[in-house]
Parts: sequence; C-alpha cells; structure tokens
Amino acid sequence: MLSENMLFSLFSIFLVISAFMVIVVKHPVYALLFLVSGFLCASFILFLLECEFLALLFIVVYVGAIAILFLFAIMMLESKLADLSKNAMKYLPVGFVFGIVLLFPLLNEISSNFEKNIYSNSFYMNKFQNWYDLIDSITDVEAYGQVLYSYFVLQLLVAGLILLLVLVGVVYLTNNFNVSKQTLEQAIFKQLARESKFFFTNLK
Amino acid sequence: MQNKLSVGLSSLVLLQSFTVFPEYFISVSLLYVLIVVVLITYNVYGLMLQKAVSECMALILLMACYLIINDDLIALNFSIFNSSIINDYFAFLTKFVICFSSAIYFLIIANSLKEQRLTSFEYLFITLFAVLGFMLLCSSNDLLTAYLAIELSSLSCYLLASFKKTSSYSVEGGIKYFITGAVSSAFFLLGSSFIYGLTGSINFSDFFDLFECSCFYQFPYHMVDFGDNVAELAWHIWWVMTHDLPELFDYSFLEVGLSLILFSLFIKLALAPFHLWSLDVYEGSPTSATFFFAVIGKLSIFVLLVRLCYVSFFSLNNCWQFYSIWIGIFSIFVGSFGGLKQRKLKTLLAYSSTSHMGYMLVAFSSSTYIGIQMLFFYFIIYIMAGLCTWFIILSLRLRKKGLNSKYNKELGDLVLLRKSNSALAFSFALTMFSIAGIPPMIGFLAKMSVFLSIVGISFYFVALASILFSVVSTFYYIRVIKVLYFENVLVGKLYYPINNNKILILSVLVFLLIFLFINPTLLYLLNYKIILSLI
Repeated sequence: MLSENMLFSLFSIFLVISAFMVIVVKHPVYALLFLVSGFLCASFILFLLECEFLALLFIVVYVGAIAILFLFAIMMLESKLADLSKNAMKYLPVGFVFGIVLLFPLLNEISSNFEKNIYSNSFYMNKFQNWYDLIDSITDVEAYGQVLYSYFVLQLLVAGLILLLVLVGVVYLTNNFNVSKQTLEQAIFKQLARESKFFFTNLK
Repeated sequence: MQNKLSVGLSSLVLLQSFTVFPEYFISVSLLYVLIVVVLITYNVYGLMLQKAVSECMALILLMACYLIINDDLIALNFSIFNSSIINDYFAFLTKFVICFSSAIYFLIIANSLKEQRLTSFEYLFITLFAVLGFMLLCSSNDLLTAYLAIELSSLSCYLLASFKKTSSYSVEGGIKYFITGAVSSAFFLLGSSFIYGLTGSINFSDFFDLFECSCFYQFPYHMVDFGDNVAELAWHIWWVMTHDLPELFDYSFLEVGLSLILFSLFIKLALAPFHLWSLDVYEGSPTSATFFFAVIGKLSIFVLLVRLCYVSFFSLNNCWQFYSIWIGIFSIFVGSFGGLKQRKLKTLLAYSSTSHMGYMLVAFSSSTYIGIQMLFFYFIIYIMAGLCTWFIILSLRLRKKGLNSKYNKELGDLVLLRKSNSALAFSFALTMFSIAGIPPMIGFLAKMSVFLSIVGISFYFVALASILFSVVSTFYYIRVIKVLYFENVLVGKLYYPINNNKILILSVLVFLLIFLFINPTLLYLLNYKIILSLI
C-alpha cells in the first residue's frame, strides 16, 4: 500500500516536472523529449491504477506516433524559430490570471463534489484482499474488447468511418496527382547530408 | 420517455436496427462510390465524371430521404444500440431536412465544381461524409455517439475548407477551422468527462432519469395549458409551496460540465464571442464549401443542444438559459453591427449567419416548448433562404478574360445585375427581403415567431433588444438590393448565363419563400410534432 503510493507520488512529481519543463525549455526538441517523458510518467501512473489499456495506448499512440511525428516535423521544417522567451514575460501575467480564474473554481468544485472516504485511514477500512479476483479476473484490455465489439459496435463503425475519411483527406491534401514534376521525391543523399547548423543557429 | 427495447449482442440483426437504415445506406453507398470511382472509372473518364458523381450523391441522398419517410418504426419512438441511437419524430424531421437540403446542394454544385476548379471527386465524397455525420448527430442519444458524429462531420468540414490546395487563403481557412474545431472538441470532451465522472453515465435518457425529480418544483407552468384542471394546478402549487425543499443535489459541478459542452457547441455554431473563426473560414474556403458550412452544417448541432438541454438537463435550465440568452443577444448584436461596413459578400453572409444563429439561440433559451417549435421553424426557413442566396452567389460567374476567374465577390460585383439578368436579380432581392424579414416573405413570420416566443416568457427587454438589432441588420440586406437595382452606374459586370435545370430549383425555392407566408401552417405543424415527440 505504502510503496504503491510512493511510486504514485514519485511518478506524479516527475509528470509535473516534465510538464513544466515542456513550457520552460527553449529548444523545441528538448521540449518534445520532456513531453515524451511526461507521457511515459502518465502511462506509469495508469499502470499503477491498473488501467493497462490506457497506459499502452499512451505509449503507443502518444509516444510512438504523435510525439515522434512532432519531432520529425520540427526537425524537417527549416522555419525560423523565433525566440519566444521575449514575449513570455508579456503574456505571463494574463495567462496566470486566466489560469487561476479557470483552475481555482474547477478544483474547488471537484474537491467539494468528490469526497474522500472518511474511513480510509481508520480501523473500519476494509483491507482484505479478494483472492478470487486475483485468480479469475479479466484484464483491462479484454474487458475493453468485450464491450467494444458488442455494446459499442455502432461507435466502432463510426470510428472506422472517421479513419477512412481522414485517410482519403490526407491522401488528397498531400499528393499532387496531376503535376508530376512537383511531386516531392526522396533524395536520400541530400537529406542525409543536411547540416544541422541552420536549425540551431536560428535559435539564437 | 422512450421505451428501451434494446438488447446487447444480437441487436444488429433485429428489426429495430432498421431504423438506422438511412445511415447504413449512406455509408455503404459511400464505400461503393469510392471503390467504383477509384478502381474503375476515374482513370478512364477523369474530369468528365465530376457532374455525374455529384448527381449520384444527390440521388443517394434522395433515396435516403425515401428511406426516412418510409420508416414506420418512427412511431414506436424507441432507442436502439443500447439506447445510444434514438428514433423519434424529432430525429426523423431533422434528418429528413438535412438529407433533402443536401441533395439540393449536390444538385446545385454539380455544374459549378468544374468552374471553381475543384475537380477531384474527393470533394463530393467528403461532403457526403459530413452529411452522414450530421444525420448521426441528429439521432444520437449519448455523449460518445454525439462526439463521434461531431468529429466525423467537422473533420470533413476542415477538409472541405482547405480543399483548394493552390489557394493559400483556403489552406489558411482550413487550418483556422481545424484549430478552433479541435479546441471546441477538447472542451466537449472535458465537459462530458465531468458529467460522466459525476453521474456515471453518458446516456441522455439516464440523465433525464437522474435529474428529472427536480423538474417538478422548477416546473415551467406557463408552458402547460391546465385549462379546466384548476384543481390540478392548485395541487401543484400547493405541493411546491409545502415542500419547500432544499436543493436535492449540488448541481454546481454538473453545471460546469454542461456549460463546457455548451461552449464547445457554441464555437461550432459560430456564435458571437466565438465567431471570429467563421469570418476568415467563410471568406477563405471555396464558395461551395462555404455554402455547405453556412446552410447545412448547423442544424444538427442545434438538435444536440435541444436534446441536452430540454430532455436530459432540463432541471439545470437556470444555467443554460442564462448563457444562451446572453450569447444569443450578443451574437445578434455582433452580427448586425459587424456587417455594416463589410463589402465582401461572403464575410457579410458570415455575419448574417452569426446573427441568425443568435435569433435561434434566443428562441432556444425561452425554455418553453413553443421556443423549440419556433427555433426549428426559423431554421427550416433559414436553410431555404440560405439555399437561395448561396445558389445565386455560386451561379453568378463573372465573364472575364484569362483563367483567373474570381469567386469571392464584393458587393460592387453585383452592380446592374438588373440589366444583365433581371430574373436572377429579382429572386436575389426577394431572398434578401426574406432574410431581412420584410412582410410579404416568410422570413417575417419566422422572426416574428421568435420574438413572440421570447415575449411569451415575459423577457420583454430581450425581445426589444433583438428587434432593434434586427432593424439595424436590415440595413445591409437592403444595401444589397440597392446595389442590385439603384446603383447609379452605367457600366456593369457581365455574367455567364445559367442553365435551365438549375433555374428550376431556384424558382421553386423562391416560390416557397412567398407561398409559405400565405400558408405557413405546414411548417408550423411539422415543427409542432417535434414538441410532441420531446415531451
């Protein structure tokens, strides 16, 4: 019990730190790496809460796909990454005020609506372990599968339609079918020989 | 409420699921069209296919209309797929309106797609996806299905907005639409997670069951005609007086969740504090896409709003009435005053759409069932007038040298349309009169009924303010007519002639604008049945 809570608080502290660093760090690649570590911490926390499916989803989707996609996008775009820290002080007070105005009542509401079990630290707390559950239990992934293909079959179909739509849209938006000369082809030698100087010099 | 006749695993093969037959039909035919066009015909026929595919889409939607009309199970009023899809008259009517108007839309754009250089067939495909999303949203009965339907429709709308890859305005509009849409989806998810955390359910009818008890002592007596039943009324009043109940439940967290969902839907509807995306998106995206967002894209979100607020969270009506009244008034204000200095036609219509959404939200906020009736009465007329307006804008093609045909019009481009195409100018003027709400058109009755529904709950100030703003907004509608008819210029612009088939659609629509003023009972009755299905 104690060690679980310790791990939980450890990972939450890491999560908060990495989320903070995402905003503070200037270099976008480092910020992205902190984002990845934040996702990993969140998925550890979800593992501790026995939500295996969500945890795996975090790792596969967010870390494996989205963060890496961002990383590629940042490294490939040769755009001028202006130094945003000048503006940070300008926007900080406004953002701070809005954040407080939004966050404080929300936390207040949550804490007033979801009460802690008052017996959690007392003698009356039911602490026995149900061995039967441990032996004959369905894992999270199985449960999701069983519900998803029976009760939420329509929603699953709609999600499939959404994927088809996005596929068609992305293929249309990124391809040039008619103008064959404008199609970007890979020049592997050129791409590998690209200097990193340009990207890093723009940061200063 | 509806009976839940649903069962779990085997519900796919039951007769009940025939009530989503139109959706099945549309999605299957989408896949079929995709396969046929991509694998077989596109390489051979190429651009010649455009018009045929567009008319094929219209045919699919008309057949879906036929399926909807012949769905006799509507009368049973039950929900299927574990009550995630509801089939009542409300869903029936709104789905029919969406299907029919988008079929007309496909017929209208069939010719003009080639002129707008939207030559690939994916445009039509994506548009049909959006229509499918709207139809699902109309009949969705839980938050998850509603979210998926919203995503389906809005993802296709982002694609439509950025469809013209060569125009940077279009790409910019698409990205702006995407970012605001993503923010609003995030708000929707946050709000629904709050509601789920508090109630443990995502189903609208469950919300109704959970919170209906407090409806009794916030019961809106003005909407029920007690008639001779004085005893019953007296009993009600006695019950409320004696049971001076404290709040049964602390609704404040629920209100936070509900208002987050409301704000996300308001962003989708482009209501006033959240309307800023709509100006750029409407101006930037291709004209036929703007047509689609402005006319067809908003009805289903109002359906979701009504389901949320009138069915499931009616006990929270203090909360949503407050927000919707203020936002409604504010968007009428912004829509009326923002359009005054606008010379670009599409942005002008974006402002006009914002103010119309404001009128509908004001009718919605009345929290009486008459308000809903007037809301959908207004909406059907809005769709009709919008079809007319955008049809005319789409079919006015400037005769110019070179390839560079301009589709974004300013008011000055309409100069002396009276001389070059007098019938079109006349119908445009009639449509503008109808939108402005001048009496011999149906638009007058629509606006008047909205004001009456607000006066009915004695919000006189709101009614007065919206009437005054509507007078202001009349200025820019009338100015369009002035440009059409009375501009003191000798040289006008020349337009390509319009073919005869399309004129038939336009003349029927314009005829309806006048005819329904003489005989509005049909629409009133249709919308009255919406109320009956909601009670």
